[in-house]
Amino acid sequence: MKKTAALFLLGIIVSTLLFAGGKQEASGKKEAEVQSVNFWFHLDDPEARVDSLIQKFEQENPGIKIEAERVPWDAYHQRLLTAVTAGSPPDVSQVKLWWQPQLVELKALEPLDKWISTWQGRNDIYDRVWELTRYTDGKQYLMPLQMVILYMYYRTDMFKKLGLSIPETREEFLDVAKKLTRDTNGDGNVDVYGFGIRGARGGHDWWGAFVLSSGANFEKGGLTTPEAIAANQWFIDLYRVHKVSPPTTPNDGFKEIIANMQSGRTATTIHHIGSAKGMVDALGDKISAFPVPEGTEGRWTSFGDEENAIFSASKVKEAAWKWISFLATKENNLTWQKASGQISVNKSNAEADYGELSRFVKATTESADFAGVLPAHPATAEFVESVWPTTMQRAFLGEITSKEMMEIFEKHFYGE
Amino acid sequence: MQRMIRALRRKTDLYPYSLLLPALTVTTFIIFIPLVYTFGLSFFNYVIWKPHEIKFVFLGNYKKALEDEVFWISFRNTLIWIAGVISLQLVLGFITALLLNRQFFWRSLARSLILIPWVTPSVITALMWRWLYDGNSGLINDILVRLGILDRYFPWLANGSTALPAIMFALMWQGFPFFTVMILAGLQAIPTELYEVAKVDGANPMQMFFHITLPMLMPILLTTILLRTIWVANSLDIIFIMTGGGPGYASHTLPLYSYIRAYKGLDFGYASTIAVYLTLLLVMIVTMYVIRILKTEERFR
Repeated sequence: MKKTAALFLLGIIVSTLLFAGGKQEASGKKEAEVQSVNFWFHLDDPEARVDSLIQKFEQENPGIKIEAERVPWDAYHQRLLTAVTAGSPPDVSQVKLWWQPQLVELKALEPLDKWISTWQGRNDIYDRVWELTRYTDGKQYLMPLQMVILYMYYRTDMFKKLGLSIPETREEFLDVAKKLTRDTNGDGNVDVYGFGIRGARGGHDWWGAFVLSSGANFEKGGLTTPEAIAANQWFIDLYRVHKVSPPTTPNDGFKEIIANMQSGRTATTIHHIGSAKGMVDALGDKISAFPVPEGTEGRWTSFGDEENAIFSASKVKEAAWKWISFLATKENNLTWQKASGQISVNKSNAEADYGELSRFVKATTESADFAGVLPAHPATAEFVESVWPTTMQRAFLGEITSKEMMEIFEKHFYGE
Repeated sequence: MQRMIRALRRKTDLYPYSLLLPALTVTTFIIFIPLVYTFGLSFFNYVIWKPHEIKFVFLGNYKKALEDEVFWISFRNTLIWIAGVISLQLVLGFITALLLNRQFFWRSLARSLILIPWVTPSVITALMWRWLYDGNSGLINDILVRLGILDRYFPWLANGSTALPAIMFALMWQGFPFFTVMILAGLQAIPTELYEVAKVDGANPMQMFFHITLPMLMPILLTTILLRTIWVANSLDIIFIMTGGGPGYASHTLPLYSYIRAYKGLDFGYASTIAVYLTLLLVMIVTMYVIRILKTEERFR
């Protein structure tokens, strides 16, 4: 009896193994045909999803599977660079323009020119975007994905109440900011501040709007001219002398800037359309936007961009190209922007209906002519990540002067 | 199998080593090799996006650190950080342990509650304290203003002189239960006869504390302080989340500076050098400490 049972069991085990083996073989064969593209991306809104785009792509391109990995923004640059150095980058990653010099230096990126030259969608992408994203060696490594231009948010209700009009120059802006900085409940303490400055990482866009528009630039020696130092002093004074920005300014990052605006702690700040939905949800029609005011030498605002890049270590470059060109095509790109909250890179989407956000789109397009980018310099990434915030904070605290601050920047880019 | 083990035990003294082997292997791979690697890296100019400029510079990075203003600021902050956090945790932990050693009806509940800060993940602790300190809507400011101690909200984390103490206070909150638990265990191991005898001899509570409780707890205190010193010195997650080392360099400590050099500047050579300096500092503290412990133990023997 025992023997029979044992035989029976053995039979079951053997047949299971055989069956499983056969199945495995079959699926193994199928996997060989499927190319999987490892894709890194990030979205500001934690609830946003891009699954529908991936599904659509996989249906249109049987045999390609997109393995999307959402990477936290704070650690994105560091993770990407370490993955590249470790020799295991993703096939495709969303990248920032200012990472390009380092990635090219590492020979990590695949030039896309051979595909772009025959790609039908190329003429539907803004010429200016192609221009800004082309690398200094003349090659195109980045495939445009999304764009934003920074503008100034303002509280329409507060402007109306105080009878203020939209400032055109930085002096007018300072005047407006001073008037907006006030004690609203009569307890002797300031409750509303005129301008929310981001003093932590990412705040170089606030700084640039006032300093790069008034005589400073990133050419060699361009940061330490008397005009540049004066412009920087003017910006520091917003916090130190005129006190139009909250006392927490040196440590305020993205979350604080947005929260202060939404809670009415600040009356203006700088950001882009990516945060417009949240602003409207919190403040309704009490918030709108205008282009950043003019400095002593015109206007400057930050062109915020993100692109997709294919890594030279990838073994599925053709499939990767299909995916990034798919994302840069009209309706797909528009779907992507629904998740990213940003603006499409396609000319044919220019007339797209942004509904309640159209006033922010207007401020964006009005700023297009003077939107600029940080220099295509390998030191830019560290400038953004740590040099700008620490140095700015020290100047805000009064530990260093405007001149010393600009000299630190100059030294960072061009050495002694 | 049984016979084999017995044979192994008898014939060689390899048996204890074979039991240690798994732990040793893991330690070798996740601690020892990276340690040696970091040490090696510290002699190189190694910025990962400059692959052509990677070269052996021997003590170049070490020299550079000694001339680096930020290194010295971080070094000073590290000493303040260790001394401040450990003494705060020790004092608070000691007081809590003495309280919890008394008899009261919800003692067992209190003993479990005290562990909450300790079991809360650092990230959550840091975020929580960051919002408590918030200069625009933080609870601490709100309470202090309502009590009339402050006349307006104060930017605790954005001020150069309060940022580091504020973070130290948060870490004190997180780490004191460890002291409490250890000291409580120590208190309960003290034989009650000692107190009874002292009472008979007419000692007052103060004398009993200094002549019985403290000396009996000494071995535990010394070990706990040593363990915590190493942990506290290396902890950077709370600082990183609460201020990122700022404003300016106000809350830079050596591990944080090393992290920033490595992951923001991608300068792994220099970051390793800072890490090695930190290790040397800790080795020094630990050595001095162990010598002291040995001496103290002799005294008590």
